[in-house]
Amino acid sequence: MRFTLVKDIKNDTLMRPLLGGLLLFILLFVSADILLKSDHIGLTESKLTQTLFGNEEEYIEAVNEHFLLELIHSDIFFMMMTLLTLSAVYARLCQNRSLRIININVTMIAALLTIILLPSAYYVSAHFVLPYIVVFYIWHIMAFMMTLASLFYLFIPQKSDLN
Amino acid sequence: MHQSYRYAIAYFLLFGTLLLASGAVLFFSKIGFSYEAVQSYYLGSKALFSTPKSSYGLLEVALPHIGSMGLFIMVTAHFLLFASKERKRQAVKPAIALFVVALLDIFSGFLIVEGWSFFIWVKLAAFALLQLLGFYLLWLLFSAIWQGVAVK
Repeated sequence: MRFTLVKDIKNDTLMRPLLGGLLLFILLFVSADILLKSDHIGLTESKLTQTLFGNEEEYIEAVNEHFLLELIHSDIFFMMMTLLTLSAVYARLCQNRSLRIININVTMIAALLTIILLPSAYYVSAHFVLPYIVVFYIWHIMAFMMTLASLFYLFIPQKSDLN
Repeated sequence: MHQSYRYAIAYFLLFGTLLLASGAVLFFSKIGFSYEAVQSYYLGSKALFSTPKSSYGLLEVALPHIGSMGLFIMVTAHFLLFASKERKRQAVKPAIALFVVALLDIFSGFLIVEGWSFFIWVKLAAFALLQLLGFYLLWLLFSAIWQGVAVK
């Protein structure tokens, strides 16, 4: 988090490429997470329902409880580290205060909801499957947009920089 | 401190709480919090039809935890750099203790499968301390953030 203390990160010869690389990795992480989850548990209502509860007609067994708990546990760690870093970079680069606060809050709340909704779908009711998929896509799309915006602010000169 | 950072850290606290809670749920569900449960998890049990854990199997679980626990403790504790001297002082001992109990928690499993049954107690104590100290560190950070908001 050293970059939070550097005054002009856009013109810092070390921080600019470092943050650029970090943002590129975050972009890859967010994309890869969608692909992996889509393959592992499914990101459509029918496929995720089938993964969580099985399908007798197609002889598909329901997912193991430990698998689900491990998935959630590791997801929390990667989410917290990725989103903390991304929001710190984004907060530093985005000049529009209200946009910055709205985007960070929406992304974080959606990410937190995924952690609550997946076990709720498994233990409480299948009605939580669709809300889980919706918030999953919301936080991924928001994180993707925040990363792209940060890259834009970092490498494209803004009007305020020219003044 | 920048208000947006305060939001980011507040959410980090929520994620941290969920991380510790999910770890506890996973421990209770997979292993169980008793001497017998830990013993049968690592050494196998005829009654439960479970086989003893291999060292490589344990390493597979230990590896991601070595990296992630160290990172989690460091990141959580380093936010207290922004806090008052008093809070920083309060965080030093729990943070160091957390590194120690995290190591004990990770590596006691290897010693249990090697036949050191005393480490079953160490595993249980290390896990309980890890949770307590983890929540305490999060609480310190929460109170520092809250104090910052209240002072403002």
